[in-house]
Amino acid sequence: MRKILTYFVEELRRIFRDPGVTVIFIVATLAYPLIYKAIYWNEQITNVPVAVVDLSNSPQSRAFLHKWNAAPDIRLTHTCTSMAEAEQLLRNQEVHGIIYFPRDFAAQLADPLGQAHISLYCDMSSFLYMKAIYLSCNQVMLEDMRNIQIDRYEQMGVGKEFAWALVQDAPYHETALFTPTGGYGSFLIPAVLVLILHQTLFFGICMLGGTAREENQENFGIRNLIGRSLAYFLIYYALAAILLGFYPRLFDIPHIGSIWDILLLLIPYLLAVIFFSLCVSVFIRNRESGLVLLISSSLIFLFMAGISWPKEMIPDAWWYIACCIPYTFGSHAFIHINSMGASILNDGFTASVAPEVLALCIQTVVYFVLACILFYIRKRHTQAQQTAIS
Amino acid sequence: MKYIFLNIWRVMQRELHMMFARPLYIFASVGVMLLSTLFFLTLMQGGTAEKMPVAVVDLDQTSISRRLIHEMQATPSVDIQLVTNSYPEARKAMQQGKIYGIFVIPEGFYSDLVAFKRPQMDFYVTNAYTVGGNTAYKQMLTMVNLTSGAFQREVLRKKGLTDDVIMHRIQPLAIEGHMVANPWGNYSVYLVSTILPGILGLICLMLTIFAIGYELKMRTSHAWLKAAGGNYTVAMIGKLIPYTVIYIILGIGCHLILFRFAGFPVYGSHVRLMFGLLLFIFAMEALGITLIGLLPTLRDALSIGALYSMLGFSLSGFTYPQMSMLAPVKALSYLEPLRHYYLIYVNEALMAAPIENSIPNMLALTAFMVASLCVAPRLHRALINQNYPLK
Repeated sequence: MRKILTYFVEELRRIFRDPGVTVIFIVATLAYPLIYKAIYWNEQITNVPVAVVDLSNSPQSRAFLHKWNAAPDIRLTHTCTSMAEAEQLLRNQEVHGIIYFPRDFAAQLADPLGQAHISLYCDMSSFLYMKAIYLSCNQVMLEDMRNIQIDRYEQMGVGKEFAWALVQDAPYHETALFTPTGGYGSFLIPAVLVLILHQTLFFGICMLGGTAREENQENFGIRNLIGRSLAYFLIYYALAAILLGFYPRLFDIPHIGSIWDILLLLIPYLLAVIFFSLCVSVFIRNRESGLVLLISSSLIFLFMAGISWPKEMIPDAWWYIACCIPYTFGSHAFIHINSMGASILNDGFTASVAPEVLALCIQTVVYFVLACILFYIRKRHTQAQQTAIS
Repeated sequence: MKYIFLNIWRVMQRELHMMFARPLYIFASVGVMLLSTLFFLTLMQGGTAEKMPVAVVDLDQTSISRRLIHEMQATPSVDIQLVTNSYPEARKAMQQGKIYGIFVIPEGFYSDLVAFKRPQMDFYVTNAYTVGGNTAYKQMLTMVNLTSGAFQREVLRKKGLTDDVIMHRIQPLAIEGHMVANPWGNYSVYLVSTILPGILGLICLMLTIFAIGYELKMRTSHAWLKAAGGNYTVAMIGKLIPYTVIYIILGIGCHLILFRFAGFPVYGSHVRLMFGLLLFIFAMEALGITLIGLLPTLRDALSIGALYSMLGFSLSGFTYPQMSMLAPVKALSYLEPLRHYYLIYVNEALMAAPIENSIPNMLALTAFMVASLCVAPRLHRALINQNYPLK
């Protein structure tokens, strides 16, 4: 026990004496989220510039444009006389969308049997342009459409009340849950916070392992493993409490979960990440090569976890690999608690993230045992080398 | 002059020897690139999230509501995972990430409908997962229209109208959406076209820093300069040629895999797009030289390089558009080579724009190369004096 404590103190000393590790562990962990918050500061995309090609040039199309321009998502910046002119603007990225009214727009609306068309062209260089343009236009269209429908029914001699009942026989009401603004940062930042914890810990431990190997100061005892893990855990528990507990409040992104649940979730999550990283660190030969080799894992872990791209759509083979990475369960559990209000203990009212927590516990045990085995093999290996030398 | 080429050749030989002595170089370049390509190309098969699991809460529990649910289940674009009569149960399933939307059929739905009382349907979608939530939202609209249109059609049919006429009455106004240059709305085309070159750039940056910084760290920079006849430029050229050849091969391979093999569209010029990719690769190498020149300690330069280039994926603006960023962040985005490559990609692959549109970005990428020349005196001194900490 005393030995473990010695290793624990020794590791803490090693971490704080190594400016490289201190930068990754503490400065990067605390500062990186702030940069991401700055990037996604505005959350929504607003005022997407759109060009208008109105060949019908009718009061109806103008009324439509007027209403649409009031939407915060878009801004009608250019009025063009031809499609070619508008396409030129799109090509030069001066606008990110085009709305086109054909010549017969008003006539089709006036014809009780006609169907009028509006064409929308969306710049696909970012999907958020399309979302902003399409959804806001659709809203105006639906509103207009109802009025036209009612007019047409009235022309048919259907009473106004009945026409309304027909047009909106079953009206609907939509509610976006959890992040009412639907902001991009509110969605991505929680996942990024969990990823930053995962990756800085991962790189830092690999760097420490590589340094020890370079300096021939490796120690593969089990007590050393426990002592070191304790040091990482202690530092990261404090950091993680700031990142996952305090930053969502500071950043004003959704944080409806209980702080106690988050603090409880951190225990298996950090332990799983620590033992996972220790397993990988055994294979790292020097302090920098880990960073060079593993840097692109950040993107792969993020996508494999099924955050940006839904997990239902991920091929099984990748999903099985994802299940070996602590980030996968850690990120979903944190999003469910923090953004969606789930809890760990089942209180009958909220949903429980117990399956994710259980998975993290299993990973903790598996990676701990694996780390012990790998450490043991390495110990035997270095001993054999030393006897060979002497 | 003859000696210069001879010295370059000597440095190259030395470098190739070091390269094959350490598997890291090949693993970190070819290995990582192959794995990333395999991963991102197989991750989003089809590239469109068509249906997401949703729940229906049936508070009406009548034959009509049940028939409606059956009809929805039969619709190919809808995936109903859970039918329940308790809203809390559905909400819990959503909190557990099992479903992305909840559709509520209210109590008394049937009786209100036939009495023309216009019962209100409610639906809820999650915003905690963007793509899942958006797809569920589209699905919910389909379900609403299915419900609402069906009843209207029924009444009109009884009035003796034909289906064609009914269609125009129900929908007198229609939007035709055109997704320019990506008519399938393929998420994979949109995402992977920038992510994979970005990863390649990341590799170029990190390995360039490593290749130069390792000489400083191992105190072998004197031997390196000696092989180059003491000439800094010769030393750099000789060292970078082998890596640059690998990067060029990887760059061309990446381009061919994305835009030929995987069939991602290029409406403009392949040559100019590939030229843009090569410029981007050189810019990332140059950025690596600049960073190790400014911070001639391997560890510091690598850490900063990693943080800097990871930000490129967000700052380039292909997910969250740059136009919506704060002014200082916007300014920062131009310091990311990936931003410029992304703009060249948009111009060439999607917009088929004239070359004038891409020239500013190509010049910007060239500026990164020029900037790396500015650190030459500092880096040269560091190679001679070896006066920076090892760790």
